[in-house]
Amino acid sequence: MNDVAEVVLPAVPTAGTASVDVACEPWAVQAAGVSSWYGSNQVLKDVDICIPQRRITALIGPSGCGKSTFLRCVNRMNDLIRGFRMQGTVSVHGEDINGPQVDVTLLRRTVGMVFQHPNPFPMSVYDNIALAVREHKPSINRDELDGIVEQSLKDAHLWDEVKDRLSGSALGLSGGQQQRLCIARALAVKPEVLMLDEPCASLDPIATGKIEELLLQLRERYTIIIVTHNLAQARRISDEMAFFLMGEMLEQGPTQQVLAAPQREETAAYLDGSYG
Amino acid sequence: MSYDRMEGTDMSSSQEAAIRLRFSRADGSLGRLGTEKLVERALAFSAASSGAAILFVIAFVFMKAYPLLARDGLAWLARADWDGAVMEAWWNPDFWRFGALPLLVGTFATTTGALMVAVPLGVGCAIILSEVAPPGLGRILATAVRLLSGVPSVIFGLVGLTVVVPFVQKTFITEELGLRYVDVPLDGQSLLAGSLVLAFMIIPFVVAVSADAMRSVPESYRFGGLALGMTKWRTIAKLVIPPALPGIVAGIVLATARGIGEAIAMAMVAGGLANIPHLDRGFVAFLEPVRTLASAIVENGEGMSVLQVESALFSLGATLLVVSVVTSILARAAFSRLRTKTGLATERAI
Amino acid sequence: MARLSFAHVRSRFWMAACWVSAAVVLAVCAGIVLAMAARGIGALEPSFFTTDPQPSFEESLAGGIRAPLAGSVILAVSGILAVFLPSLGAAIYLAEYMDEQKLGTRAIRLGLEVLAGVPSVVFGFWGLAVFSQPIFAFLSDSAGGDATSAFGRSFLVGALVMAVHILPFVVKVMEEAIRAVPRALREAGYALGLTKWRMIKRVVLPSAAPGIVTAIVLGLGLIVGDTAIVWLTVGGTMTMSGADAWWLPHNWLPVLKGTGSTLTTFIFYSSPAGEGNAPGKAYGAAFVLLALVVALNAFVAWIGRQRSIKAQ
Ligand SMILES: Nc1ncnc2c1ncn2[C@@H]1O[C@H](COP(=O)(O)OP(=O)(O)O)[C@@H](O)[C@H]1O
Ligand SMILES: [Mg+2]
Repeated sequence: MNDVAEVVLPAVPTAGTASVDVACEPWAVQAAGVSSWYGSNQVLKDVDICIPQRRITALIGPSGCGKSTFLRCVNRMNDLIRGFRMQGTVSVHGEDINGPQVDVTLLRRTVGMVFQHPNPFPMSVYDNIALAVREHKPSINRDELDGIVEQSLKDAHLWDEVKDRLSGSALGLSGGQQQRLCIARALAVKPEVLMLDEPCASLDPIATGKIEELLLQLRERYTIIIVTHNLAQARRISDEMAFFLMGEMLEQGPTQQVLAAPQREETAAYLDGSYG
Repeated sequence: MSYDRMEGTDMSSSQEAAIRLRFSRADGSLGRLGTEKLVERALAFSAASSGAAILFVIAFVFMKAYPLLARDGLAWLARADWDGAVMEAWWNPDFWRFGALPLLVGTFATTTGALMVAVPLGVGCAIILSEVAPPGLGRILATAVRLLSGVPSVIFGLVGLTVVVPFVQKTFITEELGLRYVDVPLDGQSLLAGSLVLAFMIIPFVVAVSADAMRSVPESYRFGGLALGMTKWRTIAKLVIPPALPGIVAGIVLATARGIGEAIAMAMVAGGLANIPHLDRGFVAFLEPVRTLASAIVENGEGMSVLQVESALFSLGATLLVVSVVTSILARAAFSRLRTKTGLATERAI
Repeated sequence: MARLSFAHVRSRFWMAACWVSAAVVLAVCAGIVLAMAARGIGALEPSFFTTDPQPSFEESLAGGIRAPLAGSVILAVSGILAVFLPSLGAAIYLAEYMDEQKLGTRAIRLGLEVLAGVPSVVFGFWGLAVFSQPIFAFLSDSAGGDATSAFGRSFLVGALVMAVHILPFVVKVMEEAIRAVPRALREAGYALGLTKWRMIKRVVLPSAAPGIVTAIVLGLGLIVGDTAIVWLTVGGTMTMSGADAWWLPHNWLPVLKGTGSTLTTFIFYSSPAGEGNAPGKAYGAAFVLLALVVALNAFVAWIGRQRSIKAQ
């Protein structure tokens, strides 16, 4: 049974068609008036944000201010948490994610996510990537699957390092390799938006550098939202920046502009404080 | 197949005007939700049938015990005539006067005797295991305890019968003793042999659960004690054992439950007679044969074709059921107390 | 020489007492193994494994353990087959779907916990009584052809009773294994767009597989080591009543519906407590049984080690 296949999915806007696409849907993700609660604890307060297509948007702010919560609202991962409640609207390419006809599994395939700690499945490198692909297209043949696995690993800049150990356990990879495997895994289901929640927080500088380089290349094909505590990293890779504080989105704009001339005192204070 | 979006390029032209649906199902189809519901039902069904099996076991046991319970209430537990009653019931279809007191006493005596050996040895062993032993020795000890817990009871019975029973007979039972007390056979199969064998059957429970409880005591407690200049033993006795105590109790409760329920080994070594040991004979009481509730079910099992005996045996089974319910509730309570004492929170995955 | 304070003397005394306890436990364990080895190895000739038990007053003529050994395997395999799906289903439901607030699910959990502590002899007796009911006649062949009741003793009956007996334990171990799968892996599965069941099937169950196998192996150990249920429900015959050539597929059903023995009941029967009275054979069988149990334990320990190596 694969009803998934019945839903006609649109073409990925490739370089040639991009202008048309961007013109009719300038924002990949739009949030309007989003408030959310864990039980009675309000975590997001009336957040408005627009994430541009095929750009890297960095979400910054002190920990506990709701950045992860916001990401988890976009792919509705918070549905899994008992007592979570959300108000306001979030749309992805103009489509309301809380609409009555939304199939959450399709939403999560459209909006991929990479977590703070690398979380490869305890199985082979190959199966880590093939798992979801097989699920979404059970009839896939081996050649096609091999192709997707190889392409995803290449896109994640991991192919050369693992091509000889595809059947080895993913848990044998280094932390940085594991995180790139998680990125490859997310790419394998062909998302349009890729969200990364502090993907380099547990990695060393070299592994971090590799991931930054990778993201800069993926930027041409995907809308990327990255949560980071590392302002230098945000400066290096992001086009847009949004500053969160205590559940509110205080300021959003092009990265250079926000870093050079923050509009809000709080942003300036955060940036100063972090620079030490 | 539209899975691969690259292939779907030609479709987009006709839908340019409208929002392209990426994850909504405009046709209102359920997607995989239908299968999801089905799977959940099937899983719920297997959980429910496990529940039903439990109910069935309990209900059936009590149903079969009912004829005796209805006639006799609980009086059969206080009366002292088992072997004779079972014999009589064979030929007298109206006979219902069973007396399970000897079995109750036998169970209580063997289990208590076993605990008197198993608790000190087990707790001592657990202290070595969790607090003292270097890793290598600890592994050996842990392996031995695991092995002991895995040894089938019939092997305990066999060793008991061929080693412990002859030992008891040679060491304690003189010819003169046998002549003095002719009313019960003194051949080594005895309360003493039963208790000794049972002790080593239940020790693994005491050791494993106690050692786990002691390990769950935060390391800082120990450092605190040693830093104050307390000796190793005082640190253990004053700082480790008290918070671990509910766990030790839980281990003892589980061991007790195991001891009460042991049938085969007790049938083999405790003696085949539903006898109440004569306390007035002093130590000789320990050399007398006894029979436990559980082993009576095995030993008198052939009486099942007789309605009254069947009902009486199921009454024994019902008693064991009740005892195991009580012990498992006690153990549960002890474990939750241990968690609050050692500050371990129960974690739930999503 | 420094004088030891009272506190130190006391400390040493109690520590010594603890060491003695540990030594006693070790010694008893070693003693059992040695007793098995010393008295059992003598019986372990090839013919011990290839001949069936023979009733005889003369121990040397009492035969071997071919049928009981096969019986243990048959009972263990069929018992595990009977328990596997229901217990896995129940464990998944309890771990993943159960609404802890619901009364029904709480009752199931409590019931399983209680049942886990019920002695096997109660199950054996229960099973004998239940499966002697005429409606269950198809599970056991009655030699007498009595119409009013079924014989109630057969490998099938034994396997079903074993399944009920070990179910709570197996469910518990499986449920723990399933719950131990990290939340991060579940989230990764959901984030890839898997539905709940697909996520469980593709992510949780493969990750919990070592624990699930452990549950099965421990269950095998429980079946292989139990005597009371076998004695009461598989019948006291030392050889198989169904068919001698139990390994031929067309004999499987008759064997399963017939009676027989396992290593445990063979030991019981051959020990001085039983009618066979061939303690040498009993020790031989006990040695084999112990080796089987140790092998199962070692397998479980090996799985655990594999898992902790992987986790690093
Ligand atoms: N699953 C949850 N249940 C309850 N509260 C949560 C949960 N996840 C996060 N929170 C709370 O929400 C707030 C925001 O958390 P989070 O979004 O993770 O912050 P950030 O990612 O910006 O550090 C914190 O106060 C945190 O305690
Ligand atoms: Mg966060």
